Amino acid sequence: MTSFAKAGTDSAPGAQPAAGVAFDVQDVTLRFGGVTSLNHVSLQMRRGEILAVIGPNGAGKTSLFNSLTGVYAPQEGRITLQAREGDEPVSVIGMKVHKVNHLGVARTFQNIRLFPALTAIENVKIGIETRQKSGPVSAMLGLPWQRREEHASTKRALELLSFVGLAHRANDIAGSLAYGEQRRLEIARAMGTNPSVLLLDEPAAGTNPVEKRELADLIKRINVEDGVSVLLIEHDMKLVMSIADRLVVLNFGQKIAEGTPEQIQRDPAVIAAYLGTTDEDAAKAELEAQPELRRIELLTDEERERENEGETL
Amino acid sequence: MNPALAFLRSDSGKRLGACLGLGVALALMTGATGRQDDYLYAIKEDLFTFHLIENLLIGVVVWLLFTFWPVIRRYLTRPGALGLLAGAMTVIVAQTVLGWYEPEDAKFSGLATLVGDTNGISALSSAFFGWLAWAQLIAVIVVGAAALVLRNRALFWVGAAMAVAAAIIASQAHKKVDELAGVVDHATGVTVAVWGYLTIAVALAIAAISTDDVARTREFVNAVLGWRPGFALGAAATALALYSLGVSSWFAPKSLNATLADVHSLFKGTSLAPIAVQYFIWLSWALVIVAGALVLVAAYFRSIILGIVGAAAAAVGLVITMISIHAITSLAANSENTYATKGPWQNLGDGAWWTCASFLALAAAGLVVAQSALKGRSATAADAAHDPSAGPRFLYAPGATLAVLGAAAAAAIFIPPTLEPSWQTALVTSIGIYMFLAIGLNVVVGWAGLLDLGFIAFYAIGAYTTAYLVGSLPVKPPFELPVLWAIPFAIAVCLIAGVILGFPTLRLRGDYLAIVTLGFGEIVRLVAVNSNGITNGPRGTEDQVPHPVINLGFVKFTFGLDQLPYWYLLLAVMVIVIIFFRRLENSRTGRAWAAIREDEVAAQAAGINPVKYKLLAFAIGASTSGIAGVLFATNVGFFNPDNFKFEFSILVLAYVVFGGMGSLPGAIAGAAVLTWLPEFLRDQVPSEDRQMYIGAVLVIMMIFRPAGLIPAKRRATELRGHGPDSAESQAVPAGGGLGGSYA
Ligand SMILES: Nc1ncnc2c1ncn2[C@@H]1O[C@H](COP(=O)(O)OP(=O)(O)O)[C@@H](O)[C@H]1O
Ligand SMILES: [Mg+2]
Repeated sequence: MTSFAKAGTDSAPGAQPAAGVAFDVQDVTLRFGGVTSLNHVSLQMRRGEILAVIGPNGAGKTSLFNSLTGVYAPQEGRITLQAREGDEPVSVIGMKVHKVNHLGVARTFQNIRLFPALTAIENVKIGIETRQKSGPVSAMLGLPWQRREEHASTKRALELLSFVGLAHRANDIAGSLAYGEQRRLEIARAMGTNPSVLLLDEPAAGTNPVEKRELADLIKRINVEDGVSVLLIEHDMKLVMSIADRLVVLNFGQKIAEGTPEQIQRDPAVIAAYLGTTDEDAAKAELEAQPELRRIELLTDEERERENEGETL
Repeated sequence: MNPALAFLRSDSGKRLGACLGLGVALALMTGATGRQDDYLYAIKEDLFTFHLIENLLIGVVVWLLFTFWPVIRRYLTRPGALGLLAGAMTVIVAQTVLGWYEPEDAKFSGLATLVGDTNGISALSSAFFGWLAWAQLIAVIVVGAAALVLRNRALFWVGAAMAVAAAIIASQAHKKVDELAGVVDHATGVTVAVWGYLTIAVALAIAAISTDDVARTREFVNAVLGWRPGFALGAAATALALYSLGVSSWFAPKSLNATLADVHSLFKGTSLAPIAVQYFIWLSWALVIVAGALVLVAAYFRSIILGIVGAAAAAVGLVITMISIHAITSLAANSENTYATKGPWQNLGDGAWWTCASFLALAAAGLVVAQSALKGRSATAADAAHDPSAGPRFLYAPGATLAVLGAAAAAAIFIPPTLEPSWQTALVTSIGIYMFLAIGLNVVVGWAGLLDLGFIAFYAIGAYTTAYLVGSLPVKPPFELPVLWAIPFAIAVCLIAGVILGFPTLRLRGDYLAIVTLGFGEIVRLVAVNSNGITNGPRGTEDQVPHPVINLGFVKFTFGLDQLPYWYLLLAVMVIVIIFFRRLENSRTGRAWAAIREDEVAAQAAGINPVKYKLLAFAIGASTSGIAGVLFATNVGFFNPDNFKFEFSILVLAYVVFGGMGSLPGAIAGAAVLTWLPEFLRDQVPSEDRQMYIGAVLVIMMIFRPAGLIPAKRRATELRGHGPDSAESQAVPAGGGLGGSYA
């Protein structure tokens, strides 16, 4: 598996789009009938960074992911992908999903989409094997190169499973894994396609605090060790703030803020979006309905505390 | 209110009404056939005779079963109950639907009438066929049931003894009839009845010994079959071989039925090869005993070396047996004595073939011993613990696959020669060919998850391609090919046809695809019907498609009208295809299919191009079907578009679903069972009713075993939901946005 340099270290001179940009999203609008899920959104994801996308439910985060991976085709705007240094920049709008994947973009899903009746290792092998060459005839005849590929795929899958801490579950049916394990298995499958950009849609949802910490660690390692750029949707602010290099905040399909974790926490537009400014009662009601919003409040307190104690991260 | 009326209005009363209605329906179904001169004849015969009472009683029994089900169920879980039930059902089936007397083609009741009309029959036989047969069955059931209810050990033993006695009475009574008539009778009825009684006897004996409150049937079977890998198969094979050597017929031209010992005296003084002479005196026994003992001892001590030696001994036994039976049949064919046969391998009795089968199974058992000993004991426990499906555990024990394969190979190779010619025809033209088609369709439906309702079209294309290439159609090829050379061409043509059909249609979703494939199937058939100049239209092939000739230089074999060689040809090709597909299933391609079937969006996101893989499945399925088409064409010689009707596509689909979608052994078993069943029913029920019984089997199967006869592991998991943690996964809120398709 190849490793990729972190974005900070590369200094390719000014091509179009800007150097070091993996995804260049320009003025994208995505509508479903009357609903506008993405409203003139522009953002740039730099190669090598961990970019987090946050926002309340229904803000359009998943729609953004689907637009980036070719699942949805936005009506307006441009999305240019240049996953690897030196790749030809291409527009992903209207491109087939598997083609986008072959350009170096892998993803996970908000509501886990494994192949639940297959074993854990088979799930990962499926990802790995999309990069292999041997066809059905060589498989039927059991030709040597097919066997070599099969062997390589098993070996790599086991490596990936131990990388995400699931080596002991290799032969279990994916659907029988615990929730947190399924999320990590999805990451392993995505990593099997050897991506340069990894999109994670709420990878910590439904997992416990221990698992969350492990997950944060895992994402960090993917980013640093394998040099994979990570685009992360996550509601858990502690997690996000601890690993993201930059954040983009969406609300009602619009980008309302962008910046470092510190900037975002102090951004009045973000605070307004999460807490409301005009109607106190409505804000309170929303807070009750959506526990994760309460979390952001609590966690920003925590962050403040941590700042007082002095930087630990 | 009148209590009788109140009862009739209650649920129970309504149910009784329904059950009695069922009885009337049964009476009409099973009764007399109509007559031209008296339209009401059948109704009168069915409803105004004792026949109606019998069927109403069945209705009452069904009602009682329903009403007292909770109580009955408790007793059914007791040790021995299931065995008693299964055995009783077996005897009932034997005495109602099976044939009992071949010369007159009579079932039990038919033979009973014959016996009643004949003087000088032994008292035992006339009693048995008069009243004893049913009376002894009822007595055994009553005693067995009483023992179950009372949990009385002595009564269990009495029941078991009665069952054994009943078995002996049945077989003796039938034997006396055959002896009196002086005929050779291959009817299966009495044998099946005896097996039913023996099942009851074993079940009741086990119940007498057992101290359990609830039967643990599965554990019991697992314990017996998993005790020592290879032991069960080895013991069964040895027992069958000894039975064949001692009792069965070995050489049966015309009315002769010579056992092993008879064969020896029959061929005394002829120029029979010395080894064969010795074989029929003692060598056969020695071979069976040595090989059997070696394998069983090896199994007991889990010895690798002994296992291999035993397998080798069995292999030697097989070779010598085949040399010997070949020797007697060729000698008989060349001689002028009255027992002359048609040629080598002909007119052999069941015993000769069963012995061959036993040796093969014994060799497999020896290898099972060696293989499982190699894998070690630790593997057994680990595999069992990891076993994801709740199926019978012994199937996952080390060596189990090999054991099943060995037994299947023994049966597939050596049982067909013992069948009657009509069954051999059925074996080739419907069972074998449809197994082949089911294997092909399983790729499309089972693995790739595409509903194809026009599969038979590729079979037609294969058959017509063959007919064209050998010059049997009005249009002539540039050069004519030997018929088996058509196979690669048929594969290629079907591959192309599959791609042509698939390319524009595979973007469609499931139900649309089904309709399009259905249309394709009909188009192919209609083209065949209407292009007189090319396909000779509805009249079918112009000249006969020749039978195949296999010429390997040193051996040359010409196929003819005898169906058995076609079976071996089919088997050989099928084994190759199965090996190929097994590998395919566990390869990158097979996993990609599984991924697409499970979750197409996730598969795409992982980089799989669904269109490419669906097309591949279509093409591979189509070409398999094409091979079947070649074999069909060369077997029948003449065929026409009616051989490729829409209903055959549906039938193949039913076989795949019945067997277990996505399971290779399932598709084979499903096709085998469902093509065997109509052939079997042909002799048992009025021909108009056959489809009804097959439909009933399908419905019952899908209710009680929706994943099919031999479910694919992956598919079974899909159907069952996903293991113990699935509730947990569902309990977590789905999160924001559209939780549905693309979130
Ligand atoms: N396939 C779709 N059809 C119709 N509306 C959709 C679809 N996908 C997303 N939306 C709408 O787009 C908006 C944003 O949804 P989503 O991207 O899932 O939000 P988030 O992931 O931020 O919670 C929602 O109002 C949702 O109803
Ligand atoms: Mg979402």
